[in-house]
Amino acid sequence: MLEIKNLDVAYGHAKALHDISLNIETGQMAFLIGRNGAGKTTLLKTIIGLLKPLKGSITYQGNEISSLSPEEHYLKGLRYVAQEKKVFGNLTVRENIEIAAYASGEPVDIALDKITSIYPKLKDFLKTKAGQLSGGQRQILLVGRALVGEPKLLLIDEPTQGLAAIVIEEIVSILSGLRDKVSAVIVEQNLAMVNRLADRVHILKEGKVAREIIDKSEISDTRGLEEYL
Amino acid sequence: MDKEKVYKLNSDKGNELSVPLKNAPMKEHGVIDFLVIAAGFLLITPILSAHRVTDFMIFCIFVMSFDLMYGYMGRLSFGHMLFLGTGAYCSGLFIRYISGNPLLAILVGIFMAGLLAMLIGLVIVRTTGACFSLINLAFNQIGFFLVLSPLRGITRGEDGFGVRVSSFGFFNFANTTFKFWFVLLCLLLVFYLLKRVTTSPYGILIRSIKEDETRVKFLGYNTFFYKWLTFVLAGGVGGLAGTLSALNYNFVNPNMMDVHSNVGVVFASLIGGAGNLYGALVGGVVYMVISNFLPIYIHRWEMFLGFSLLIIVFKFRKGVWGNIQDIWEYIQKRKGAPRLAA
Repeated sequence: MLEIKNLDVAYGHAKALHDISLNIETGQMAFLIGRNGAGKTTLLKTIIGLLKPLKGSITYQGNEISSLSPEEHYLKGLRYVAQEKKVFGNLTVRENIEIAAYASGEPVDIALDKITSIYPKLKDFLKTKAGQLSGGQRQILLVGRALVGEPKLLLIDEPTQGLAAIVIEEIVSILSGLRDKVSAVIVEQNLAMVNRLADRVHILKEGKVAREIIDKSEISDTRGLEEYL
Repeated sequence: MDKEKVYKLNSDKGNELSVPLKNAPMKEHGVIDFLVIAAGFLLITPILSAHRVTDFMIFCIFVMSFDLMYGYMGRLSFGHMLFLGTGAYCSGLFIRYISGNPLLAILVGIFMAGLLAMLIGLVIVRTTGACFSLINLAFNQIGFFLVLSPLRGITRGEDGFGVRVSSFGFFNFANTTFKFWFVLLCLLLVFYLLKRVTTSPYGILIRSIKEDETRVKFLGYNTFFYKWLTFVLAGGVGGLAGTLSALNYNFVNPNMMDVHSNVGVVFASLIGGAGNLYGALVGGVVYMVISNFLPIYIHRWEMFLGFSLLIIVFKFRKGVWGNIQDIWEYIQKRKGAPRLAA
């Protein structure tokens, strides 16, 4: 579904990714782990079209997408949830969902049902300004909003960062409910989450793929993964 | 048409998206809005005279057009007078050289201001922040220079020219009372149009662009198109304010395009509370009252405006209307009642 080959990305003269290659199959949940500065977020931003690669290719469903704009990525079914948990704070929760529904062509009612079914508490906040939600609620709204329309590939950057354990559990539950329905590339440091959800893990180190793990027993070995964090 | 279908993207070209405005759910628009606005202007008419209130209402139309771009979309223009001037000059010249029909003149003024916005908008809306403000200022200055000097042959330079409108059936712009009612009707129509627009999906979209344009792109929107559309709409409504000014004063001169006058509309928007049509109306009236009456009592009245702006920026960022809303919401929250409509 998503194939990255020999990808180099730089910020000005500083190279951030070196010769990255990876392959994600339909329905798989791939996790990118690694220390700060390893290039995980840079890789997601490059896939979604926010950064242009120096060389290499990003092929999605057989088509090269590295030169496409962010809105063209959306039309192809790619959804990006950024790290900062930035909702449209001055819009209500409902409006945050509406704006995604209009773009995707999905009726607003269906979009609302979809999101409130995965997180029913959000029903109580539909008229609340999204900026007033807690960090966890904002993250769930963002993940929910990414599911509006017919997403095919989710790109989620650190969905559990800074969140309480109970909220992390809710996010894990939402993501596990998506298994086999959509593919996902998730940047995550929470190894317990990786352990429960990952079909494959790509360990990034200093802008390179240091290791690729597809064996479930190896993924479950959180101690083995810890050394890369 | 099936409700589900109307939400489908009107896109044949991939990334050129458009939200179908007419099919989008609208919030209720009560007649009460119009009654309150009309009553407000009618109440101040005996105190201030119909001619002056007409002037106030025209300025309010202009502030609403500015607020669409600044308050709703977050793009601060220092050159919005260009559209007011274009509307005034084009309608004035139409009346002077082509036809005295006031309705046609109004349409010409709106069309020409909108057309100008369409053309320069292609360049301007690609920019943001200070660049956006200053490019607008630059175009405004170019327009001011054009009517002042190179086009002096038809615009009569800094002397300006008189606008004599023929009486056209019921439309008699020589009559002050008629002008008052006509401008009030225009104000209500503009309010209605912008209220519909700003509460539609398009309105949600431009407010989202104000917050973070990049994230709007990630939701699949061609933000350039929507910014351009907003710019054109604001320009067209600004042009309407210009044509009404020309008809109200029966005179057009370069002051109607003077870059310094942009200060007024920025002040009015901030005083009333940006991003709210009621705020634009309140700000427009408050600014006009200050600029019309304060000079009688205070010689350097502009200094007072400067201090007012400092107070607004540091203490009342939401302006008069925004703070009224906050107080109202606070009271309602304590009572457990629904929120005040935005």
